[in-house]
Amino acid sequence: MRAFDHSAVQSADEAVAALRGQDEASLIAGGADLLSLMKADVVAPAHIIDLKPARDLRGVSVAADGAVRLGALTTLAEIERDEALAERLPILRAAVRDAATPQLRNMATLGGNLMQRNRCWYLRGPYACWQKGGDRCFAREGQNKYHAIFYDGSCVAVHPSDLAPALLALDARVEVVGPAGPRALAIDELLQTPTAERRREATLAADEVIVAVTVPAQPANAHGVYLKLMERQAWAYALVSAAAQLALTEDGRVEQARVVLGGVASAPRRLPAVEALLVGQAVTPELATRAAEVAITGATPLAHNGYKVQMARELTRRAILQVAGAQRDG
Amino acid sequence: MPIRIVTTHLEFEGQVYEQRVVLEGDEPAVWDADAKLGVVGQPVPRVDGRERVTGGAQFTYDVALPGMLIAVGLRSPHPHARVASVNAARAEVAPGVRAVYTRFNTEGLINPNGERPIFAEEVVYQGQEVAVVLAETRQQAIDALRLIAVEYEPLPFVVDPEAALAVEAPHVQTTRENNSIGEDWPKIYERGDVEKGFAEADVIAETRFTTEAALHNSMETHGGVASWDGHTLTLWSSTQNIYGARQQVAAALGLHQNQVHVIKRYLGGGFGSKFDAHNSGLLAAWAAYHLGRPVKYMLSREEENLAAGNRPPSVQTYRIGAKRDGALTAIELRAVGNVGAFGGWFSPVSLPAKEMYLCPNVRATDAPARTNLGTQGSFRAPGVVEGIAGLEVALDNLARELALDPLELRRKNYAPSYQIIEKPYAVKTLREAYDRGAERIGWATRDAEERRYPRGRDSSLRRGVGMASQFWGGDGGPPAQAIAKLLPDGSAVIVTGTQDLGTGTRTVLAQIAAEELGLPLAAVRVELGETEFGVFSPPSGGSMTLASVGPAVRMAAAGARREAMEIVSHLAEAPIDALDVRDGVILNRETGKEMGSLGSFLGQLEGHEVTARGMRGPNAEEVIVRTFGTQFAEVEVDIATGQVRVLRVVAAHDCGRIVNPLTFSSQMEGGIIQGIGMALFEQRIVDERLGVSVNPNFGDYKVPTIRDVPEIEIITVGQPNPFANTLGALGAGEPPIIPTPGAIANAFAHAVGRAPHGLPLTPDRVLALLAE
Amino acid sequence: MPEQTTATRRPIRLTINGAERVVDAETRATLLDTLRDDLGLTGAKLGCDMGQCGACTVLVDGEAMYSCLLLTVEQEGRAITTIEGLAANGELDPIQQAIIAHDALQCGFCTPGQALAMRALFDRTPHPTDDEIDRALSGNLCRCGAYAKLRTAARSLAGR
Repeated sequence: MRAFDHSAVQSADEAVAALRGQDEASLIAGGADLLSLMKADVVAPAHIIDLKPARDLRGVSVAADGAVRLGALTTLAEIERDEALAERLPILRAAVRDAATPQLRNMATLGGNLMQRNRCWYLRGPYACWQKGGDRCFAREGQNKYHAIFYDGSCVAVHPSDLAPALLALDARVEVVGPAGPRALAIDELLQTPTAERRREATLAADEVIVAVTVPAQPANAHGVYLKLMERQAWAYALVSAAAQLALTEDGRVEQARVVLGGVASAPRRLPAVEALLVGQAVTPELATRAAEVAITGATPLAHNGYKVQMARELTRRAILQVAGAQRDG
Repeated sequence: MPIRIVTTHLEFEGQVYEQRVVLEGDEPAVWDADAKLGVVGQPVPRVDGRERVTGGAQFTYDVALPGMLIAVGLRSPHPHARVASVNAARAEVAPGVRAVYTRFNTEGLINPNGERPIFAEEVVYQGQEVAVVLAETRQQAIDALRLIAVEYEPLPFVVDPEAALAVEAPHVQTTRENNSIGEDWPKIYERGDVEKGFAEADVIAETRFTTEAALHNSMETHGGVASWDGHTLTLWSSTQNIYGARQQVAAALGLHQNQVHVIKRYLGGGFGSKFDAHNSGLLAAWAAYHLGRPVKYMLSREEENLAAGNRPPSVQTYRIGAKRDGALTAIELRAVGNVGAFGGWFSPVSLPAKEMYLCPNVRATDAPARTNLGTQGSFRAPGVVEGIAGLEVALDNLARELALDPLELRRKNYAPSYQIIEKPYAVKTLREAYDRGAERIGWATRDAEERRYPRGRDSSLRRGVGMASQFWGGDGGPPAQAIAKLLPDGSAVIVTGTQDLGTGTRTVLAQIAAEELGLPLAAVRVELGETEFGVFSPPSGGSMTLASVGPAVRMAAAGARREAMEIVSHLAEAPIDALDVRDGVILNRETGKEMGSLGSFLGQLEGHEVTARGMRGPNAEEVIVRTFGTQFAEVEVDIATGQVRVLRVVAAHDCGRIVNPLTFSSQMEGGIIQGIGMALFEQRIVDERLGVSVNPNFGDYKVPTIRDVPEIEIITVGQPNPFANTLGALGAGEPPIIPTPGAIANAFAHAVGRAPHGLPLTPDRVLALLAE
Repeated sequence: MPEQTTATRRPIRLTINGAERVVDAETRATLLDTLRDDLGLTGAKLGCDMGQCGACTVLVDGEAMYSCLLLTVEQEGRAITTIEGLAANGELDPIQQAIIAHDALQCGFCTPGQALAMRALFDRTPHPTDDEIDRALSGNLCRCGAYAKLRTAARSLAGR
């Protein structure tokens, strides 16, 4: 790590103020991703601002209408252990319990999890790749077994978060504060395909801070699952993951659907065509199979990740069937 | 005592060496199967467990000396380039920096084996040393690294072994017309008449099987801490071979060997990768010697994975011919290996094809290629793990074509004697291992519907059971020495120069000494891991530590006991033949009476320490000593996602006498778990366009976690092997990893009805195979 | 004395194994650097320096974390337990005893981290299931493969 100045802030507003006029400042929360990027010399902030003392970024609360608000500093472990949260939004516990390791879940925060950089080995290694200001994506023609099967930009890395697909399936919104005051973004507004001007997945401005993530009240008949395929049984990023949150009528018809794939694109990929296919239908194996085919339509695998197409298909199918099964069993 | 010089043969990592050894005195008689032993054979916890669980164990990485400088390396990002210039001017004046070493200021600094400069003009793999910075702190050294400007002139490179062997391939670093490792390579072994054998065959099965580079990834990286006081160079080294390291450092610095003291107190794993001082240790020694300051150079995880060895990838092509009844008529193998930039030998991938099964006609070609990748190192049963995996998969392919049970096919081709030269096996109990392992895994029901389709045929889950076997040397050999000392209070110190890699060497040596001395285990202390105070012991590897050093310890202890009994006999005025010592108490055999503790006699003499030396005797020449064993694996494959999980491993092995069943089973489990890693996910991933590895870290190079570990059942087969050594014990480090990848591959094939083309069985490969 | 780099340093107050310590920490020093280089507590190991192996695991206010990914300057006032602090008055923690008794270690390099991860598990869950044991230890790599015996040791502590 290169040397840096370090300061701490007591609130989100203080953080925004501290960021003002600082070109090379970085916020730190759990620090797990930032420190590994700094050790690999991928980033080298001159100033680090510690958010952890900011009490207004902490806490999990449930509103009267059932909406949930998760402070940005909520750790993955806190999400995992919160029984009330698990009862209300089981998809979140499912998403975090196979994420990283107990130690990392004790450290890593919700905000940091959303803001983490991708895990492409060319980004993390000593290569002047496009995200680092270079003119080429090394992975596109190189080693890309963990990379995207849907891509349209100059980078084929995938977003590594387990939480983000689940939160997108829950239609969560990210509360942000910046110099112009607060605003809220959907997960698929926060995380997007990088552009030439913004060579990373997160769209936040450099002087904005995530305050909290809010999950709107889910319909009483909604159920969700998060499924993750890994290369080993623990401590691995998703090869492909699927999050599905479906509201089902008593006779088993889909009233509302949000279906998301992780590990296939530079941001969690919501599947509107799949959702449209499901709504109004009774979930059957045949329907799930058709939906799964729709899920992978347009996939253009790279040389080493064709297998992800099959995984995405299968995981979509399973997620839909499991939600319906949970509804029946529940 | 008069000495004699004996020529004997020693097998180490699959290679047989003839060597002359000096011997004195006679070893005690073999502990045979009937020997009544009290401490040996007991599952006692490690004698150094406390240090290891409290943080008290000092690893090389933990050594800190006053005024110590920290070294950090700058390595080539290119697979092949000329280092045209290195501008370190800014780094040299950076805060805390005391030296920057490059090829321009290290004349005479050559690698541990004395073959070539550590800092070369032409770097031939990603990760080769270009510069080393020494600074007061690690951070300062890292800061200074960034200030070094290196001008590289990239050169053509080759990373694919088959391409490298072509005449027109870029030359890695030889002037030969291809990148073979020597004029006499590829090596072709031939017995019988292979063409005739294939002509006689009813069925010929062909198999192409690949294995990937596996990285040792010892938790403690390579490196050393060195200090020079003007007279003695002390090197704390993370090494499996302190005497080798001593010789290398002495040669490199032009010192007498008695001026070099190598210490390895605790070693954070080695697995075959640490058989020398390593460039890093030698650099630390060189720097300490020239700067007059202690120096520490421990590799980063990335350096470790680029420049500290690997199990080389293999491409194995088999043709196996058999009669309708399964009798083998011919085996042909071509094994291409990728030994990296400086590979000078080739691990014996073809050995299983020559030895494992009875076959009169065999032709096996070993074709190693040098490439612009990190150099191979021996890794736990080098070659044989890969070779067994390929051969056992090929044999299962043959069994499928013959519609024979795979285990029956192996029984049919049981090799009763060693086939490479005409010699009998000392002991071969593999049939018993087959029987007992097959029973425990439930081989007879492996095809049962409910077992193969645990959730019915509509589910995508498939289960299968497969097996593979092992043979290995493991009988050790000379030279190995030990000293046993009995102190005036009747406690004992055993001095050797061996290394405990984590296998439990200290504990088993203490058990052997306690047994022979008639002392309780707690009264025996084992000193090892230091050249200056120790006595010569071989490198710890090749599953030979126990089998080499253990007998020397036993002989030393026997000598000490003899002298102690003479002393007691004299002091007690009792005939020596009537005396015995048990649990540290002298007994009169005839009367059964306790005569007092050993210490109560020895303490009567003024400051006399009983001291005796022991030496490992020569190996049996008339027979071939082998471990044998077999493993059965049950796996579950999700054919819709390509995920493979190992549910169960049953391992039945004969390693002769088991000195400590507890540490023995740890060795077994450890080998099996590494084998699971190799079977399921371990793989160095190389970008062939750039000629670099993209996953030299624990994040992307995946080793097993606890959740990947199935139920493991260990069965011990056989008895003390009287031909092995005076313990009847064989090494257990390497045997357990040998069958695991092959057994898993065959279980996978059984589950999905299709043989894999190679390992690891990652989901991408599995789904590609199933889509064929 | 080593020259100072441009980075700022500041005194940080920590409770290490029950004793209050003040360390003069460079802002970029990790807790692992501080423990090993400044305090001489070398039980926490540097295995990868990237949060990818678990050998540096310590307890921070009772929770297992990777000390290689924590900045010391952010630990002001926290209670750190390292392996050196697990045994009390020379009496080994039951976890340490179980690891020895069941041979749940080989080379021992990862063992301090394993022991602390196990301590964190049992502090929260005195009678863990096999799945809970495996999950709790899934962030600590052991290259020697002591996993099967770590499981046995943990089971014995869970009363099985």
